[in-house]
Amino acid sequence: MLNKLNFLLILLITYRKKHLSIFILSTLLIALMSSVLFISSSIKKDIFSTLENQADFTVQKYVAGRVLNAPESWIDEFYTIDGVQNVQGRIYGTHYYEPAEQYFIIVGLDFYDTQVIKEMKTLVEGIDMDDFLAKKNMIIGSDVKKFLDEYHYFDYYTFRPPDRSIEKVYIYDKLKSSTDIVSGDMIIMDIANARKILGVEDGTFSDIILQAPNLKERETINTKLRVSHFDMRIIQKNDIQNYYENLYNYKGGLFLSLFIIVFMSFGLILFQRYSMISSVDAKEVALLRLSGWKINEVLWFKISENFIVILSAYFSGIFLAYFYVYFLNAPLLKNIFLGYSNLGSSTIFSPSFTLSDLVLIFLSFVIPFLLAIIIPLWRVSIKEPTEVMR
Amino acid sequence: MINIENLSKSFQTKTDTFHALKNINLKIKKGELIVIYGESGSGKSTLLSIIASIMKPTSGKVLVEGENIVSYSDIYASEYRKNRVGFVTQSFHLFDELTLHDNLLAPLVIQALTKAQIEHNIDKALLIANISHKKSQKVNTLSGGEKQRAIIARAIINNPHIVICDEPTANLDADNSLVFIETLKDLKARGKTVIISTHDPIFEAQEFVDKVIFIKDGSLV
Repeated sequence: MLNKLNFLLILLITYRKKHLSIFILSTLLIALMSSVLFISSSIKKDIFSTLENQADFTVQKYVAGRVLNAPESWIDEFYTIDGVQNVQGRIYGTHYYEPAEQYFIIVGLDFYDTQVIKEMKTLVEGIDMDDFLAKKNMIIGSDVKKFLDEYHYFDYYTFRPPDRSIEKVYIYDKLKSSTDIVSGDMIIMDIANARKILGVEDGTFSDIILQAPNLKERETINTKLRVSHFDMRIIQKNDIQNYYENLYNYKGGLFLSLFIIVFMSFGLILFQRYSMISSVDAKEVALLRLSGWKINEVLWFKISENFIVILSAYFSGIFLAYFYVYFLNAPLLKNIFLGYSNLGSSTIFSPSFTLSDLVLIFLSFVIPFLLAIIIPLWRVSIKEPTEVMR
Repeated sequence: MINIENLSKSFQTKTDTFHALKNINLKIKKGELIVIYGESGSGKSTLLSIIASIMKPTSGKVLVEGENIVSYSDIYASEYRKNRVGFVTQSFHLFDELTLHDNLLAPLVIQALTKAQIEHNIDKALLIANISHKKSQKVNTLSGGEKQRAIIARAIINNPHIVICDEPTANLDADNSLVFIETLKDLKARGKTVIISTHDPIFEAQEFVDKVIFIKDGSLV
């Protein structure tokens, strides 16, 4: 066994140029595929960690295809439905930031409401509420900060509400990078400030949220809400999760496109390997057979030789992808997945992948690669050695 | 003792059947050195390939020490090639990028040998083939004669009883052919059964040759 291993190492070192080219190409393909999976996994993790504390139902007043402010009276109405808890009105809207021609999302929070703070825990964790509410402050997402800094709004920014007044709001802090995927373009401020800046009249809210802790009651609550008003749109937390899941799942859209491209490239390489066994490989097999090697010994030897190469490429590819996604933050690929729309995203990917991701990559690359190598070698090995060497 | 009985080999082409060997009968005693003469395409290499168990005949038997090697499965045929027969190929078929030492590892690593035994076998084979001084050199830097000796060293590395040489001097100049003949004498002196196929007249009138056989169009003449 050790003698065979020694001979294997001699061949690997001797034909290192051939193996190195396969190693580099495979490493790059595995790294690309792994990067896609890592990005997908990281995005999903960040989204779900942020959405976890969201309300179970979001209700909007919806008329003729437009979202209007919802009346405050709906809050008391919804409380009459069995199983409904913590009904709240929310204030939010977009602000057009003219210097950079970008839209920011303003979210108004009632910082005295413990339920609201619990729901937004991921975003506002660690903020000193008393200090924050001492004056007109706001917490801004990474992308908002980037654009404000660009125009020297380091300490505060002046909003122009619809009533043409001037609202100077101080920048209190930046939201955590790990929530960038949903909060990069977000501005969080006290609900009264938001109401003023967005021009939401008293007695109305942008939308109304409510909780339904019992999973079994949700469908009934959904039905009761739906029949209570004809001009209503209901969004469930699951709908939002499913939307993001589909958007960033590797099976969908861009992820699928990239996967197909990677697999097709890999398929072409495999096809080439499958259809054209090199004369060196064929001669090598014939010489081994001539020296008394059995077919299974030759095949196991060649499998081992190629397995070492592809396994090294697999681990190198995974490592490279990890470094690329989680240390370099996936330049280029990030823009493909998160897009340039609205704000250029400052999202930082946090490490997240499962064992099944790694197994998927292993099965997708290592097994087909070995088969593409071994089948033509097997065909050669069952031929008469003199015929191969002729 | 090698006993060949009614051996025939045919190759099927797209339009025709080519009869490479036709009903060959031959007896080779243990320790004999025989030369098979014939033109190119006469069937010499086919006959040697069958005796070396790297080709199956269409019909007939090849009995080596009473065992019909023709009926061997791949496992037994491989064992036979590994332990009982050494094959000196016509062209210089070697791992060109490997050193001579590493080329000789190929037949040894499948044996249950220690590292010391492997090195001993390599040194012994190189000594017999008179190529010890090139042990650490890559074979693609060796001359034609040296490559031929390297192939001989590989053929005898497992101390086989039978050494088969297919056109061994075809790619050698006169001087190297004479060196090769000296090696053959040495192998015969060591009790090996040596079978040589050739059309080189250098083997004519050599005292150490026990038997000369002529083959033409697949038949012994």
